[in-house]
Amino acid sequence: MSTIVLDPITRLEGHLKVSVTLDANNIVTAAQSTGNLYRDFENMLVGRVPKDAAFLTQRICGVCPVSHAIASSKATEQAAGFKPSLQGLLLRDLIQGANFISSNVLHFYQLALMDYVQGPQVHPWTPGYTQDFRFNATDSQALINNYVAALSIRRQAHEMGAIFGGKLPHVGNVVPGGVTATPTATDITNFRNYLNTVASFIKTTYAADVNKLAAAYNDYYTVGKGYGNLISYGVFDTNTSGGLLFPAGTVTNGAVGSFTQTNIKEYVGHSWYSSPSGANPASETTTPNFGKAGAYTWLKAPRYSGAPYEAGSLARTWVSGDYRHGVSVMDRHLARYTETNKIATNMLTWLNQVVAGVSGSVNLGIAAPVSGSGIGLTEAPRGALGHWLTVANSAISKYQIVTPTCWNASPMDDAGLVGPIEKALIGTHVVDTAQPVELLRIVHSFDPCTGCSVHVMSPEGVEMSNFVVQPLGA
Amino acid sequence: MKISRRDFLAWTVAAGVALNVEFNLDNVNNVMAAETDPPIIWIQGSGCSGCTISTLNVTNPTTIDNVLLNKISMKYNSTLMTASGDLAMQTLDQSATQYKGQFILVIEGAVPTGANGNYCVIGEVNGVPLTMQQAVLKYGPMAKYVVAAGTCASFGGVSASAPNKTSCSSASTILSGKTTNPVVNLSGCPVHPTVLIQTLLDLILIGMPAVDTNHRPTKYYGTTVHATCERRDKDNCFEDKGCIGPGCQNVCSTLKWNNGQSWCITANYACIGCSNPAFPTSPLLSGNYD
Repeated sequence: MSTIVLDPITRLEGHLKVSVTLDANNIVTAAQSTGNLYRDFENMLVGRVPKDAAFLTQRICGVCPVSHAIASSKATEQAAGFKPSLQGLLLRDLIQGANFISSNVLHFYQLALMDYVQGPQVHPWTPGYTQDFRFNATDSQALINNYVAALSIRRQAHEMGAIFGGKLPHVGNVVPGGVTATPTATDITNFRNYLNTVASFIKTTYAADVNKLAAAYNDYYTVGKGYGNLISYGVFDTNTSGGLLFPAGTVTNGAVGSFTQTNIKEYVGHSWYSSPSGANPASETTTPNFGKAGAYTWLKAPRYSGAPYEAGSLARTWVSGDYRHGVSVMDRHLARYTETNKIATNMLTWLNQVVAGVSGSVNLGIAAPVSGSGIGLTEAPRGALGHWLTVANSAISKYQIVTPTCWNASPMDDAGLVGPIEKALIGTHVVDTAQPVELLRIVHSFDPCTGCSVHVMSPEGVEMSNFVVQPLGA
Repeated sequence: MKISRRDFLAWTVAAGVALNVEFNLDNVNNVMAAETDPPIIWIQGSGCSGCTISTLNVTNPTTIDNVLLNKISMKYNSTLMTASGDLAMQTLDQSATQYKGQFILVIEGAVPTGANGNYCVIGEVNGVPLTMQQAVLKYGPMAKYVVAAGTCASFGGVSASAPNKTSCSSASTILSGKTTNPVVNLSGCPVHPTVLIQTLLDLILIGMPAVDTNHRPTKYYGTTVHATCERRDKDNCFEDKGCIGPGCQNVCSTLKWNNGQSWCITANYACIGCSNPAFPTSPLLSGNYD
């Protein structure tokens, strides 16, 4: 029996550590994923005016800020009993769509591809593992060329989003009430030109490259499945009556089912919190307890009807029916491509509905609740994102955020079930323990983002208030 | 006296700047491409990686592929680098040791000092966690220049906002009196990509910039965004609606964002002052703008 510790896992947003235990045949028998950063965002928001949360929560994640702004705005709007206009929803779709494209292209080329292709022999692409590269020199060079092209495409996707959002990352105008921009005809034309460029890359280059990867590494259709349970809160409003491009839903043992947010509970049995375990975020409290016996992480464990669920592109496309091949490392890449293409296609439809000269915001004053509560559910590129808000005396009295990486990188829950990434690592054969590229491929396929993991704190074995807590099974 | 190619170039450009000679910096910078050139080591603390993502958006003075392939040597940046785990941590330490007194340390995010720095661990060395605070204290004094990228690293920013239970500090607070040159603050949430990349190139080619009282280059933070705002003195000016623009210095109203596409005011919302030491104020806007 041996162990492998990877800290940091690079090529993701934030700070993530993975440690695994191997048996005599180098098969992973146990795994722990741990975030290494705690930011205390929820407590920062208490006492502030509700609309400011749309700006501040973007600063949780520089890769998916738009999704946080939208989740926060939706929560405040629900508390105020307000619904944005179609123009406002369309502008949000277009800004969020631009950010999804930028993030998904970044993920495939900049974050994931170096697990399969040797990069240029200069920093930051070297050093790296040299294990299990399968492309010939011609294909490798072509993929590296497309890595460089993708840097331009993801940048242009951000430029496209900034046309209506002001700037990216961290947009300037997605607020409770809608989007404050009033697009001009020139803006719409400018956006369309960018969209054509970006969509062309997706439909040709990205499509070819993801299929090239899948062909060369088709054994990865059977690696990193995990539980196979999938969850989506739904995203991209298509009308003012709740229609969504990717609907909310769950996939349990391959069967698509409905989604009900009250079935979400967060467990802290193995997390360093003394607050009650098993509460819905709306009534949840967060009380840190650094030395708690049996705990090994600061990440809470969100569960749906008591079970671990995987969030992300594969969950969205499975629920929507766009991609239902399987659950694995390679399926996650194919699903991410599939949704990127679908988003780009639909953005043209949304853009054609945007009316020049009309504000995307009806009246921001409407969306300033004095008291009440609201829930904002949407999707970040890496999965289901929810903000739970309570307002009293015109100020935030309570704010809870459950991020996609909380779902995916969660620790063991009170029932002893490990998180989805941990589960996906178990059973993996590591060919060369000095170069465990299989582990990187599995973790990266989830596109984790630990800056998103608001509750995440320092790992096991770290001194906190004079306690040294050892990992489970250590 | 033996003078290196780099020293010669730096001298030439400095002289050129002093004499107001126009240089094609792009050509000059290309000479800096070699792996042997002083590297950039970029570490991330309590933040969102938004400053790394913003830097990827650079178009002026050039695009990021050209920056990474031809202008700087990015030894360590956990979002971009191929190496993980021990290989990554070895790369960090070996680069800092090999280029001691020569490299530029970029600090992104604030530095949590609560719980002995354990609110942010950047990796593990020989089985022992290395906190962001330890990394800044170790590598800051070894660097020739230290750059704080973004408002969190410059002033604490969102990461240090009340109640600041993690006791986040700015890079310059942590490193006060410990560095070869004073920390250069490049505030903004996120940092503007042109400000970041051109400052790195300027440090390599010219040296320390002239700075304001907040230790930010006056070249970029010398005037308020209001001073050149498209709405200044117009009916739709946000000044009486709580806009922070009249008290916030940055390049937003001149360079705009995302390859000049737009910025907050064009997007029809007031400036929230994201490059100010006081950011994020509560409320974000100074009045009752709704």
